[in-house]
Amino acid sequence: MDSKVVLEQLKGMLTVDQINTDQDDLYDAAADRYKKYAKARKVLNVPSPIAIVYPKDTQEVSMLLSYCNEHGINVIPRGGKTATEGGLENWKELTIVIDALHLDSICKIDTYNSQATVQAGVPLQVLEDELRKVGYTTGHSPQSKPVAKYGGLVATRSIGQFSTLYGGIEDMVVGLECVFPDGQISRIKNVSRRAGGPDIRHIAIGNEGALCYITEVTVKIFRYFPENNKFLGYLVKDVETGIKVLREVIVNGFRPSVARTYSPEDAAQHFYHFYENSCVLLFMAEGPKGIVSATVNAIEEAVETYKDGIIKQVDSQLIEDWFNHLNWSQQDIDDEMLGMIDNDSHAGYTTEISADWETIPKIYDAVMERVRNEFERAEDLTMLGGHSSHSYLNGTNMYFVYNYKILCEPEDELIIYHHPIQRIIVEETLKAGGSMCHHHGIGKYRSEWTREEHGSAYYMLEKLKQAFDPNGIMNYGTIFPQEEGMKYIQ
Amino acid sequence: MKIICVVKFVPDVDNFTYDHEKHIIIRENSRMMVNPDDACAIGFALKMKQRSPDTSIEVVTMAPESVLPLVEDILRVGVDTATIISDRLYAGSDTYATSRVLSRYLSGATYDTILTGSHAIDGDTSHVPSQIACLLDLNHMSYISRIDESSFSSSLARFEVESEQAVSSYEIQMPAILGLTRASGYRLPYVRYKNLNMDVSDRVTVIHNDVLCFDESEVGLTGSRTKVVGTHVKTYKNRSHHVVTTDQEGIDTVYRFLKDKQFI
Amino acid sequence: MKRILIYIEQHHEQEGLDLLETARQIYQEEPYETYALVLKSQYDALKGIFDVIVDLSEECLQEYEMRAISEVCYQLHKSYHFDAILFPATSWGRLIAPRVAMMLDTGLVADVTDIAHGEHGLELIRPAYSGRIMASIQITGDGPMMLSVRPGVFSYTQHKKAATQIRIPQDLRYRTGGLKETGRKEKHSEYDIRESDVLISGGGGVERYFHELRPLAELLGGHVSASRAIVDKGVADRNVQVGQSGKTVNPRLYIALGINGALQHIEGLRNVDYIISVNTNKYAPICSLSDIVVEGDAYTFIHRLIDTIHKEKGYEGH
Repeated sequence: MDSKVVLEQLKGMLTVDQINTDQDDLYDAAADRYKKYAKARKVLNVPSPIAIVYPKDTQEVSMLLSYCNEHGINVIPRGGKTATEGGLENWKELTIVIDALHLDSICKIDTYNSQATVQAGVPLQVLEDELRKVGYTTGHSPQSKPVAKYGGLVATRSIGQFSTLYGGIEDMVVGLECVFPDGQISRIKNVSRRAGGPDIRHIAIGNEGALCYITEVTVKIFRYFPENNKFLGYLVKDVETGIKVLREVIVNGFRPSVARTYSPEDAAQHFYHFYENSCVLLFMAEGPKGIVSATVNAIEEAVETYKDGIIKQVDSQLIEDWFNHLNWSQQDIDDEMLGMIDNDSHAGYTTEISADWETIPKIYDAVMERVRNEFERAEDLTMLGGHSSHSYLNGTNMYFVYNYKILCEPEDELIIYHHPIQRIIVEETLKAGGSMCHHHGIGKYRSEWTREEHGSAYYMLEKLKQAFDPNGIMNYGTIFPQEEGMKYIQ
Repeated sequence: MKIICVVKFVPDVDNFTYDHEKHIIIRENSRMMVNPDDACAIGFALKMKQRSPDTSIEVVTMAPESVLPLVEDILRVGVDTATIISDRLYAGSDTYATSRVLSRYLSGATYDTILTGSHAIDGDTSHVPSQIACLLDLNHMSYISRIDESSFSSSLARFEVESEQAVSSYEIQMPAILGLTRASGYRLPYVRYKNLNMDVSDRVTVIHNDVLCFDESEVGLTGSRTKVVGTHVKTYKNRSHHVVTTDQEGIDTVYRFLKDKQFI
Repeated sequence: MKRILIYIEQHHEQEGLDLLETARQIYQEEPYETYALVLKSQYDALKGIFDVIVDLSEECLQEYEMRAISEVCYQLHKSYHFDAILFPATSWGRLIAPRVAMMLDTGLVADVTDIAHGEHGLELIRPAYSGRIMASIQITGDGPMMLSVRPGVFSYTQHKKAATQIRIPQDLRYRTGGLKETGRKEKHSEYDIRESDVLISGGGGVERYFHELRPLAELLGGHVSASRAIVDKGVADRNVQVGQSGKTVNPRLYIALGINGALQHIEGLRNVDYIISVNTNKYAPICSLSDIVVEGDAYTFIHRLIDTIHKEKGYEGH
C-alpha cells in the first residue's frame, strides 16, 4: 500500500491534529536511544515512519489497529520514548507510530484498596506526585521516572530502584486493558489473587508492543514513610564481597528498598568524591519505623559477617545526597543529544543481565576478562564496569556499564563499539544460564538471541505471536527475530 | 590541483608519559594521533577533492616508521598518497632541523599549495610552517579559521583569520602554505567500518636519508639549534581540602589563599 | 656590550616594553644596549627607555608582511650583530620570529615564560604538551639567541631614563606582496571561558543572584561561567556552561559557587590548578576536589570576599 493512501485514509478516521507528519518528528520516531549517536548526527540508516498518530481513547486504538492489521501496516506503540534497546526503532517502510499522548487521565486513585488506575499515557511522575499528596507512592522509580509513561513501563517489564522492596512492574500490575491487532479489546479485571487458569496479565506485561497495545493499567500503591528512610554505604574490596552481603541481607528475609554493589569503575561515575578506587555497597531502608530499624540491623549484621571484605563505612549523608540526584530528566536526555552533536562522545551504554547468586560474579569476571582481551577497541574504552542493583531471593542482576571514545564515523559506532561488547555480555550470560535481558526488554538488537534466551520455551512465545498477531504488524523486529531486519544489525 | 598536507603525529596529550631522565616523551605508551590542527588541513583538502575530483592529495610527515598504521588510515579516507620521512639520524631534531628536512623533500615535490595546521598540541612552537615557508620562499599564513572554498585555486586563496579581537580576511598568492586551526571545523573523517582493512600499502612511500642526503651533523640533535635540558612536570597535588565557613575567619583564609597564589 | 633587538608590535607596545624585563633577566648585571624595532611612528611610550629605536615608519610596512619584516630584521642584524632578538609571542610575533631564525640559521625558543640560570648556563623555560610540562631549553649554535616571549608573564616596572637615539635605516631591501588583508571585522567583547585564567562559576545554588558573580570575577581578573543546572533554567547563557555538554576549561583558579559537581560537570574541568568551592552542603561531590571548601551561602561569601579585597587594597594604598 502507498503511504499517501494510508495518510488519506487516516484522515478519515482521526482529526487533523491527531496525525503528525512533521519531518523532524518522524525522524525522531525512527529510532530510540539505542541509535542515539547516529540519530543525533543525522545519519540514521532506518526508515522514518509515515505518521505518528494520537488516539483519544481505546476505541480509536482498536480502530487503528484493525485498519493496520487489514492492510499490513507496521505499528509501533509508543509512550514516553525512553526505550534503550531499539523497541521504538522502525524497520519497515510503511509504519505508523501510535503514541499514547492523549491517553493521559488518571482514572482512579483508591487508597483504601491500595490501587490506582491510569491510562497508558500517564507519566509515572504524574501519578507519583498525585499519590504523594495522599501519603502514598507507586513504589516504582526507574531512572526514567520523570519521562516514562505507564503504557511503556508495563509493556517493557520495567523495574525501578526500589524493586527489592516493591518488586518490578509485574508485581505491581493488578489488571489492565489492552487491544489486539484484530481490534479486540480485552480487560483483565482487578482482583487480589485468583486461580483462573494461567495468569494472562503476563501476555500483555512485557509484550513490547509486539502482541498488543496496552491502553490502561491498574497498579498497587503503597503507604509512604519518607521520614523513616535510612541510608547506609560501605567501601568493599571486590564485587563478589558486595554481592555476598546483598545475598546475606536478602536471604535472611529483609527487603531494603535499594541494595546495590558497584564495581570501582562504575562507582567512579557516581561516587568519585568518596569511592577511593574501591567497590561501593549501599542500601536504603524504608517503610514503617520498626521495619526500617530491623532492616538496618540486618544490614549491619551482614556487613559484620563479611567484615574481612569491607574497607570502611561511608557517611550516610553521601549516599542520601547521591540518591537525591539520581533520576534523568527530559533535560538530561536533550542535553546528551546536544552533547553528541557537539562532541564525539555520548553518555555510554548499558547491558543488564540476571542470574542466580553464585553465577553472577562468574559472569561478571568472564565478561571483564573477555572484553579486555577480545574487544578490538579496548584501548578506546573510557569505562567498563557494572553494578548489581536489583536483588531477589535466588539471585540478582548485573548492570554492565561502558563508555568509550568514539573514534569512528557515527554510522559505524554501534558495529565497532557497542555490538561487540554487548555480544560478549550476552554470550557469557546465556552460556552460564542467566538471562540476557533483566529489565530493558529485548528490543530489536537482542532479538538475535531470543531463541537462545528462551530455549525450548520459545515455542510458547512464538505461538503467542502467531495467535495474537498473525499478520505480523505489531512492532516488526521486536522480541521476535526477523531475517530481513538483520541488515540493520550488522 | 595537487595539495600537499604536511602533518605531525603527536601523542594524545591527555594520556602521555614522559621519561624524566632522558627528557623524552615515551611515545610507545601513549596513543599517537594526527595533530588536531593538521587533521583540519586534511579535512579541508578532502573537501576540495569532493568539489573537484581531479584534486590529488599527498600527506607528508616526518615521523618514526611506527606511524605507518595511522598514515594508512588517512589513505583509507580518500587521501591519494602519503610520504613518511623517517631516518634514525633525524631523531631528536628541533624545529629548525625538522623544517630543513621537510623543506628538502618538498623542494623536490610538485604541489599547488601546502596545507598544514597552525599549532601542534605537543611542542606548540608553531615554527615549522613559517620556517618551511622561509626555506621554500613561499607565502604563508596561519591561524586560518575559514577558507573560501569556491575561490580556492592554484593561483589564489581567500580566507579568514580569527583572533581574540577580530576576524580578518586575507588574499594570498599561491603557491603558499596555509595553516588551519580547529576553529575551521574541517574534520578528518574516521575510516569507515567496511574500509578498515583496505590494502593501501602501495600508496605509502617511506623516505630515508639516502634520498635526502643530509650530513649527520645537519640533522637530529647535532643539527638542532636548541635542546631540551630539563623538564618539570606539573603534577596534581593532593588538594588540601580545607573546610571553612563564611565567617570573617573563613573569608580571610580564602583571601590569603588567593593572595598567596597571586590572584590578588 | 651586548645588543638586544626587541620587536614592537603595533598596539602592543607594553608587551614590547615588558621584554626589557626578559632581557634584564637574561643578562642580569652584564651591560647591554636595547634596540626597539617599530613599524609605525607612534612610539612615545618607548622613548627614554630604549637606547635605540629603529623606526621603519617610512617603509610603510603592514604587520602581516612577514617576509618583508623578517628580511628587515635580517639586514639589521647584519649591521648591528645583535646578541639576542626578542619577539612578543603574539600571533604576528610567533609568525615572524621563526622566519628570522631560519634566515640567521639560529635557534629560537617559542613562548618563553621564565628565565633560569642553571649549571649549564642560560635556560629558557616554556610550557609544552598543553602546559602539562615545563621544558628548559638551551640555545646551541653561534646565535644570536632568539626568543618569543609569552605576553603578560614578564613585567617591566623600572623607568630607566636614557637618551634614546632614533635611527631610520636606509637602503633596506625586502620584498612585499603575496599576502593582503582585505577586510577586518572587530568582534564583540564576548569572552571564551576556555581562555580564562580565573573562572567564577555558579550552579543551582546561586540561581537567584547569578549576576552577583560578575563583580567578583572582574576583581580577580576572570570571567563568569556556570553549571548546567542554571543554564537549563535560562539564568546563564549556554556558551559559558562548563561540563560534558558544555565546554572544557582549564583555568588556574576555579571558584564553584553553589555547584553540586556531578561527574558531567567535573568532566569539563581539566588542568585546573586551584578549586575553591562554596556550598551549603559540604558533602557536595565538588567539595572533595577543592583546595578550600567554604561551607555556607554563596551570596554571603561573594559580598564578604569582595569587601575584604577592597579593604585590604585600600590599606595597601596608604
